Amino acid sequence: MLHVALANIKTYARRYIAVILAVAIGTAFLAATLAVNTSTRATLKNSLGDTYKNADLVAFQDWELAPDDPDFKYTELGLKQVQQIRELPQISTAYGTAFVSGELRTADDGYGVMLQPVSAEQNLGGMELLEGRAPLNSNEIILDDEHAQKMLVSVGDTVGLTGADSATRDVKVVGIQRTSTDPMLSGYALVGMQESAWEKSAGESAQFQNIVIDARDSVPAAQQALAAYLAEHRMIDVSVMTADEKVINDVAMLTDGTDQLTIVLLVFALVALVVTGLVVVNTFNVVIAQRTRELALLRTLGAKRQQIRSSVLIEALVIGVVASLLGVALAVALMAGLIQLVHVMVPSMSYATLALNTTGLVVPVVVGILMTVIAASLPARRAMKLAPLAALRPFDAASVKNRAGKLRIVFGILLTLAGGGLLAWGAIAGSLPIAFGGGLLSFPGILMLASLFVPASVFGIGKLVAGRSVAGKLAALNAVRNPGRTTATATALLIGVTLVSMIMVGGQTAKASLNNSIAGEYPVDLTVSLYERAVNEAKTQDLARELGSLDGIEETSTFLAGSVETKGGDNEGGFSLMGVDPQTFSKVVLDQNIVPEDGQIIRFNTGGEEQPKKLTVGGRELDVKVSSASLFQDLVTKDTLESLKTGDAADEYAGVLIKVAPDLSNSEITALVEQIADVANVESYMVSGGVVENAMFSQVIDVLLAIVSALLAVAVLIALIGVANTLSLSVLERTRENSLLRALGLKKKQLRAMLAQEAVLIGGVAALLGLVLGVVYGLLGAHATLSAIGEMSYEIPWLQLALVLVVSIVAALLASVTPGRRAAKLSPVQGLATE
Amino acid sequence: MTSETLPLTEYAVSARGLTKSYGHDSTRVEALRTVDVAFARSRFTAIMGPSGSGKSTLMHCLAGLDTADAGEIIIGGRDLMTLNDDELTMMRREQIGFVFQSFNLVPTINAKDNILLPLSLAGKSHDREWFNTVIDALGLRDRLSHKPHELSGGQQQRVAVARALLTRPEVVFGDEPTGNLDSRTGAEVLSLMRTSTREMGQTIIMVTHDPAAASYADTVLLMKDGSIVGQLENPTVATVTEALASLAE
Ligand SMILES: Nc1ncnc2c1ncn2[C@@H]1O[C@H](COP(=O)(O)OP(=O)(O)OP(=O)(O)O)[C@@H](O)[C@H]1O
Ligand SMILES: [Mg+2]
Repeated sequence: MLHVALANIKTYARRYIAVILAVAIGTAFLAATLAVNTSTRATLKNSLGDTYKNADLVAFQDWELAPDDPDFKYTELGLKQVQQIRELPQISTAYGTAFVSGELRTADDGYGVMLQPVSAEQNLGGMELLEGRAPLNSNEIILDDEHAQKMLVSVGDTVGLTGADSATRDVKVVGIQRTSTDPMLSGYALVGMQESAWEKSAGESAQFQNIVIDARDSVPAAQQALAAYLAEHRMIDVSVMTADEKVINDVAMLTDGTDQLTIVLLVFALVALVVTGLVVVNTFNVVIAQRTRELALLRTLGAKRQQIRSSVLIEALVIGVVASLLGVALAVALMAGLIQLVHVMVPSMSYATLALNTTGLVVPVVVGILMTVIAASLPARRAMKLAPLAALRPFDAASVKNRAGKLRIVFGILLTLAGGGLLAWGAIAGSLPIAFGGGLLSFPGILMLASLFVPASVFGIGKLVAGRSVAGKLAALNAVRNPGRTTATATALLIGVTLVSMIMVGGQTAKASLNNSIAGEYPVDLTVSLYERAVNEAKTQDLARELGSLDGIEETSTFLAGSVETKGGDNEGGFSLMGVDPQTFSKVVLDQNIVPEDGQIIRFNTGGEEQPKKLTVGGRELDVKVSSASLFQDLVTKDTLESLKTGDAADEYAGVLIKVAPDLSNSEITALVEQIADVANVESYMVSGGVVENAMFSQVIDVLLAIVSALLAVAVLIALIGVANTLSLSVLERTRENSLLRALGLKKKQLRAMLAQEAVLIGGVAALLGLVLGVVYGLLGAHATLSAIGEMSYEIPWLQLALVLVVSIVAALLASVTPGRRAAKLSPVQGLATE
Repeated sequence: MTSETLPLTEYAVSARGLTKSYGHDSTRVEALRTVDVAFARSRFTAIMGPSGSGKSTLMHCLAGLDTADAGEIIIGGRDLMTLNDDELTMMRREQIGFVFQSFNLVPTINAKDNILLPLSLAGKSHDREWFNTVIDALGLRDRLSHKPHELSGGQQQRVAVARALLTRPEVVFGDEPTGNLDSRTGAEVLSLMRTSTREMGQTIIMVTHDPAAASYADTVLLMKDGSIVGQLENPTVATVTEALASLAE
């Protein structure tokens, strides 16, 4: 049967293009996921290795070797140890690497830096001089080139350097070294200084993470000498590794996160593969339906059932092999391109490498082939069951009744009920794992039941939309002509759309709910705290007025914060109060209930405990009003605060409270905060408040949503290829019928429109059903995750969901273009002549 | 013949200088060689000839299903050769009816919808009285709600005839409309077609191989090698068989 299979593939090559494309994309996703993992590791190894590039051995204090003894004194590796190691005859050079922070002052600005001892005789601490020379005395330093450029510092300049000992002295920059690509170092400006000078600057923290060692002759000999040295000094918690071992060790520590990323990506790859599988099932179903006569003829001529089946499976195998190889090649090309792009766009990341391993290449190919063959085995079984008589069937029945397997329906109902129950329970109990399990069970359950509701919805909506148009009615009929085919095509799309809309709804609800809980913690939108300034009421008022004139700011008010003494009650001692001007405060405050009156204190975070009606603070008895909001400081009026005996005057500070315009976008808020910080001349972290935190959360959620949507888009893309595929195969099948319609007076345009309507119906209804499911899952999931945090606020991102629908519909329209054009090109006579 | 000697209005369909060839160079086949032909209104004409003589090609060209290489085809006073695809489509919808040998019906819709299809495509409502006349004449009344696969071959052909007659087109074309039917059912369909010319004044042009079928026609045109080579009026099975035999020589 091999030659039959191969001949079939050759004859029907065009029919397989789409399915090959779909499988290739699915496989490429998987291969790219694995390549991301291996490449990240290789890249990290490349960059982490920079520190030990020219070294043989690395010695370091290793927590894992330390005994489980609270009295154990950990070894401290300092200059003394480095010098002792240098004296070993088997060692050529040794230097320590440390993280000691300091500050470097240029004429214009100050910068945080890392201080590192370097010695010209000892490999210059692993640094590579690009310019100048090594520091020769305690007043000379070298600096890395990237940061030197940023600081506008060059060789010969004098700068101020403050060490960990807080002493500042002027030093001269005598050399520039290459910036390390080690991600643990490259973020910092790296200052190299003479060892003795470093020891002084570092003070108490003059210890090393690692001692990097070069052997004089043989590495094993040096290793032995080191072991002896460590034993002699009882440094049992110090490890010595070769540089390679150490890099692998470090990479393992850093890549915990990458592995998680890989797992997440793998989940998405799995979704893409499931969708691909559906497209494969469908393609083979259609192809086999079209070949019924041919296959039945083979049976009549004496082909055994088994032979028919293997012929189909061989076809699937060939397609699987071709598509998977194509997919892996696509993934490799994509990754190589991306890394090339990184090299071009970010020259400093020249260490980024494409790394592939056998597993990463073989697994996707195997998975791709298996998936194709397994998916094709269902249609193959159906082909096998064909009776020889089918070859003589006189008339193509108008619509094929595929009875959904009873078993599948029963199973689907059980899964849906069980999963739905779990999901509801998880949502009510606020337990994400339970809800997640429920989703995991119910979604496949619903998909199993898809044949019960998808064709019916497609037909119902199709008839509704068609109105009196004949082409529309025919389109609706054609769309459900083969319910099994329609269901599989729609399900593939439904999966992607459900997941996309689920995370959209979940994300939006999360944003809204977080917004809620954040709003409860802040009395106003924004607070500008002037911690470092002496309190000056007039200047603060001026600042408030100035800020009030900014675009996006509606109202401002000022406050005064100070600490007061209290006696009695649950918080004896000092506590912090915020004094506000009730008149202007009431204009900026979000909750009018917390505007204090003179002689009144508004208390927060009381934990629901009964509070005394009166509280004596700062020598005065105040009326207590309890609020359920959760602010940091209790509130009084400014006048009240001034009448109280306050504590340390240094604790007092003033500030401005701001109400921003209600409909600012996240980026506008970020920009506004920068602007406020600028006007008030404070660091931007001193401008805080609900809207800032909210903007931050929203941005994080938005980024996550964008990433996840992009990943799921692959599955949606594959499903849309499936829609195009099903449609073009169906059109082939209906050539004669379409020609008949043309002969009877259907215009070319109407024929194309009819096919477009059919595609849009399947795509649109699948998307619509997916949206409904996605909204339900999204809301339940968000409830399960977030209801513990506080009051939920359910929000549905209508616009985004509408966009998903529009994209699906437009894509389905596009999918109908090629089949439609092909159908319309055929003259009625040609079409009627075809068998 | 010139147009002065051939007043177009007497004819439902007329064609002049119709030429069509397939393939090129060595595989070139001249399916129609400058055919001049005219079909009088309200008559039932059969086209006969050996296999490959160009009968179907002629019919497809006349019906605007296929385009000839050269010549003119006049139906309802318009030259089909000058029309674009949409205009041709409108012509087929309104002026031309078809009955094919097989696969005449759209399988997804029932007999009634199939019969009404050209009208619904044109967005027109049907003449109820005429519909009833046609349906009763064809004996389809209790088959209207059946899907095509629930109908016998003869019933399917009758539905196709009903569809062709319902629009009262200028001309109905049939390419071996009874080719797939047994002789009794075939005879039924053919006498229906004859009745419709006699009683309803319908012009019908039919391609057939069967002398018995041709004997239902008023006129038989004989074709050979892409040309019309003869004509028989009031044919009988005997005269038709004789004429065909002489063609084969
Ligand atoms: N699509 C085509 N491509 C090439 N040649 C064609 C095509 N259609 C018809 N022909 C050729 O044109 C000539 C006329 O064909 P046509 O189908 O009109 O014959 P016919 O008289 O209808 O024959 P039959 O009685 O067998 O149906 C034949 O020689 C045929 O081979
Ligand atoms: Mg023919």
